[in-house]
Amino acid sequence: MNTPVTRRHFLRSAGIILALPTLESLQPRAFAAGKTPPPRRMACICAPLGMHAPDFFPEEKGRDYKPSMYLETLGDLRGDCTVISGLAHPGVGSTHDSQDSFLTAALHPENRAGFRNSVSLDQFAAEKIGDQTRLPSLALAAEGSSLSWTRSGAMVPADTFPASVFARLFLQGRPDEVQKQTRRLEDGLSILDTVRDQSKRLDGTLGTRDREKMDEYFTSIRELERRMAVAREWSTKPKPHVDVPPIQNNANPADLIGKTRLMLDLIHLAIQTDSTRLITLLLLGTSQVPPIAGVSQGHHDLSHHGQDPGKIAQLRKVELELMKAHGEFLTKLKQTSEQDGSLLDHSMILFGSNLGNASNHSTKNLPFLLAGGGFKHGQHLAQNADESPPVSNLYVSMLQRLGIETDKFGTSTGTLTGLEVW
Amino acid sequence: MCTSVEPLHTSLKILTLFPLAALCGYAVGACAEAPPAAVRAVFEQHCVKCHSGDEPKGDMTLEPLMDGHGGLKLWQDALEKIETGEMPPKSKPRPAPEQQRAAVDWLAALVLGEKAVLREKEGRVVLRRLNRVEYENTLRDLLGVEVRVRELLPEDSSAAGFDNVGAALHSSSFLLARYLDAAAEALDQAIASGPQSAVKKQRVTLADAYQFKQDTEHAFRKRADGRITMFSSSQWQAATLFWLDRRGRYRFRMSVQGDQSSGKPVVFSTYTGGGSDGPKPVLAGYFDAPAEAPKVIEFEAFMEPRMSMTIRPYGLAVAQEIAKEGEKWAGPGLAVDWVEMEGPLNETWPPASHERLFAGLKQAPVKVPGGNDILEVQPNDAAADARRIIAAFARRAFRRPVGDAELAPFIALVAKRQADGSTFEQAVRAGLAAVMTSPAFLFLNETPGPLDDLALASRLSYFLWSSMPDEELLSLAEKGTLHDPATLRAQLDRLLKNPKASAFTENFTGQWLRLREIDFTEPSGQLYPEFDDMLKVSMVREARLFFDELLRHDLPITNFLASDFSMLNGRLAKHYGIPGVEGWTFQRVTLPPGSHRGGVLTMAAVLKVTANGTNTSPVMRGAWTLDRIFGRPPKPPPPDAGSIEPDIRGSTTIREQLAKHRRIESCASCHVKIDPPGFALENFDVIGGWREFYRSTGNGKPVEIDGKKMRYLQGPPVDATGEMPDGRKFSNVDELKQILLADTDVFARTLTIRLITYGTGGIVEATDQREVSAILEKARTSKWGFRSLVHEIIQSRLFREK
Repeated sequence: MNTPVTRRHFLRSAGIILALPTLESLQPRAFAAGKTPPPRRMACICAPLGMHAPDFFPEEKGRDYKPSMYLETLGDLRGDCTVISGLAHPGVGSTHDSQDSFLTAALHPENRAGFRNSVSLDQFAAEKIGDQTRLPSLALAAEGSSLSWTRSGAMVPADTFPASVFARLFLQGRPDEVQKQTRRLEDGLSILDTVRDQSKRLDGTLGTRDREKMDEYFTSIRELERRMAVAREWSTKPKPHVDVPPIQNNANPADLIGKTRLMLDLIHLAIQTDSTRLITLLLLGTSQVPPIAGVSQGHHDLSHHGQDPGKIAQLRKVELELMKAHGEFLTKLKQTSEQDGSLLDHSMILFGSNLGNASNHSTKNLPFLLAGGGFKHGQHLAQNADESPPVSNLYVSMLQRLGIETDKFGTSTGTLTGLEVW
Repeated sequence: MCTSVEPLHTSLKILTLFPLAALCGYAVGACAEAPPAAVRAVFEQHCVKCHSGDEPKGDMTLEPLMDGHGGLKLWQDALEKIETGEMPPKSKPRPAPEQQRAAVDWLAALVLGEKAVLREKEGRVVLRRLNRVEYENTLRDLLGVEVRVRELLPEDSSAAGFDNVGAALHSSSFLLARYLDAAAEALDQAIASGPQSAVKKQRVTLADAYQFKQDTEHAFRKRADGRITMFSSSQWQAATLFWLDRRGRYRFRMSVQGDQSSGKPVVFSTYTGGGSDGPKPVLAGYFDAPAEAPKVIEFEAFMEPRMSMTIRPYGLAVAQEIAKEGEKWAGPGLAVDWVEMEGPLNETWPPASHERLFAGLKQAPVKVPGGNDILEVQPNDAAADARRIIAAFARRAFRRPVGDAELAPFIALVAKRQADGSTFEQAVRAGLAAVMTSPAFLFLNETPGPLDDLALASRLSYFLWSSMPDEELLSLAEKGTLHDPATLRAQLDRLLKNPKASAFTENFTGQWLRLREIDFTEPSGQLYPEFDDMLKVSMVREARLFFDELLRHDLPITNFLASDFSMLNGRLAKHYGIPGVEGWTFQRVTLPPGSHRGGVLTMAAVLKVTANGTNTSPVMRGAWTLDRIFGRPPKPPPPDAGSIEPDIRGSTTIREQLAKHRRIESCASCHVKIDPPGFALENFDVIGGWREFYRSTGNGKPVEIDGKKMRYLQGPPVDATGEMPDGRKFSNVDELKQILLADTDVFARTLTIRLITYGTGGIVEATDQREVSAILEKARTSKWGFRSLVHEIIQSRLFREK
């Protein structure tokens, strides 16, 4: 009937277990010395209700495009962004379920029965470079779901409360809290040790399909043990200091923009302190009415505009606000310097959607805006939508930019043609 | 290995069911038989050329196929790719249709044969992890506390329509981390670490609500005796009372009556919530305030510090209207004499959850550096106490007796943590958390063949309660008498009588009828101004109560297709245009002729979840019917099929758009099967209201209701006629239902398979159809009674074997 233990309450105590650093790099890196090359980072942001295509994509291709209504909001960031049209995930059908495959490219999420997800872009990268920061990766969402998935196809639960992430990353905590958390970590390691032996014993008696399940559980134990051991090392080191008031939560379940801004602020801080280099953010996609002047209908409802001009006008208001918030975030990254450049130069920020046309749930011609990361930006990279290259090609390009040697991800057939590095 | 199939009785059945499987023999993996020449030729010409060598295309080597080798996964993958036409690629020559058919049939038989073997060896049901709903319920019953943890655990994936199917449930280190957190949190709740909070009891009137104090709109009216009437349903005039400082369970009581309500009850809702970053307001319930005399309403809710309780009347005027008339306002209102709060409620101290774990151990204060002192239990004999506590807990957590050897590591863990410097209670908590993180707790342990009584007890309780067995069920299983058919029968009836059985209704209908998706879309306020929260809550309740009604009274399952009654309250009756039902309270209502209602298809909840907030699609509703009623989910559209661009401007109907689509031959072949039931349902709008015309925002005639001009227009008329693929025609939904009734057997099989899937957490395969038929034959003799069907299912081999 009711909510006895709240999420907030719970997360407060969850804290330290999810903090997962590595042994080699317990200190913030010595960027200032200029010895180490700047870190490469990636943040992927998904707007689950799409972006109204005629207002998002410019008509012209190439470098001389005239900005669309939405791109206008980015102003002088033009040279830091590439807008990409004509991409699609092959074998991902036209439903909201396509969200699950946004960063994984797993086939046919719309066939809910029998669908099994695969590893998401950030988790794939975390396997390679996640051991360099306090958190291997950070999955964020404005509510419920998550963009991040493990290799076994299990969802990586996303943090939905920015205040608790802030606390986990930047607040030192009272001595008794620290002590309690340390004890929980020690308890946790002992518990895993105990149940690992139990699952090993069980394993011998099982049939193949059951053994697969037990192996998955067993692997989970080992992975968590490893992460917690590293977390124990990090827990003795002071957390980075940030000179801002703690980020609060936004309790309004309809406040698309408010929630987005908090998460983007958090991402900026996480990047700035090099707390993690791999971030995903699933934006709000509710049926509620966002508190934006001139908007009286629910966001999901507006996305199903059915060509009604009144609804499209309201949808535009919502999406313009979103673009504005995103632009401010990019500007902030650009204005924060790091070594010879800015945070933005060292961070790929991908903004996009799993829907190309939310009104009919089409998953063709997905909207993407790639910013930063040291690419040759400033163009509208228009792909032929009839022969859409897989989104995974873009992902391979991004992985390579992270310094990961791979020529394959998801359904890729190569890298994304036309996306070049300076 | 080939001879090992000899004694298996199901093999024979499969031989008769699937002669092709017989062709290539049973233990196919081991004694492979090469495909017939024609099939081999297909593989040779169209598959192996690319899928072979050092760098096979798609990392898939198909050479083993040529000799009938490769294993289940390869066969399934190949089958899927060929059957869906994904392979061979479009750019390459394709086999003739009959060649392709032959290859598909051969592979399908291979897959089925191998699955039959697997099933004999390993059982049908794959090792099942508790899903997050089951996990939460199990913590509740194991510890005796309410912990809301399901939202902290990642969503579970589904197979065959349900999220409790073992094959689809995965583990990850992230999940495990959350299990550790959840266990610690649940133990914090179960174990008392402070003195009992004094129970506070307080009685107030609405005069305490700040909304009353600040009212300038005459939304409240106070009588001399202190009674206050609320006249407005506006959100800002809802009355918020109390401000709690301690968490726990509270009891709320209030004396209410309808005021100026013309003899009709006044409906109101209560919410709990509050705090700036606190939990979202949660609906505690809707209630009726009778017109005749004051009535005391009572409910309990779990409250956090800084939460309050809010009362909001339903369906009354907006505050601005009242403000115009002021004190003379003569509309109906909700009169509230007093409101009482009592809590936190604890019958005993330390609470039962604490006592059940520690059974009488004394508590003593412990210093916490930098924090407040807390109470912790003290052992009489640390080793013996730890052993006793862990043993009793593990038996219940593992749902079976637990031997010394299995207990030893948990007890050793407690000792180790104490040696490391933890207190006794801290160490015991770690031991208990380990039990709750152990695979024996998290997975339902079943061994191939007939289930032993302990596994059967868990299967039954997770079927009906989505939770662990209670003491009676566990004892019967320990005694070894549960499998006796009469005992099993009695236990099913007992479990269904328990309030915990609402989990069955909620989780089964939530997924079969997709009621869980009720909030996925918010109907457009412009097109559907009549939609409100009470309607939404009532819709879901109707479907659940209807399900319960059939189950309780063993009514025929044909009622799911068409019935002469439904479970309605005033709001829903108004929505359906059925007179004579008032208020919130639900009742069984005989449907008048011409209501077009009865059965699940025409329930508002089902109609809502099969539409989006603006428009309906015969394709979506048709596909739903095919899948959920006929058990034949349509294949997903081919990748190049366009989707229809919805248009609510009133110049074209979805049916006209679909007609264009259906003129393309490749589309027509599927849509001729998918669309018809959806056409009949076009008479229902996105919130399940009856319509003869579409509502439009662009073109159409103005619409007035009760003298009020609507913000939508009357669009084109609805055409709900259609023709089933076999040629049977219908002119509206009533005739469609008659067609469905003629196919009762098909529906009965669909429902039975869904119940078995949900009830066992295992997918029903083609090899299981004969068992399903046996269940259906028995259910037919009980006139398709719903409860009889459930009885037949739990007595069947499919339920009683792994």
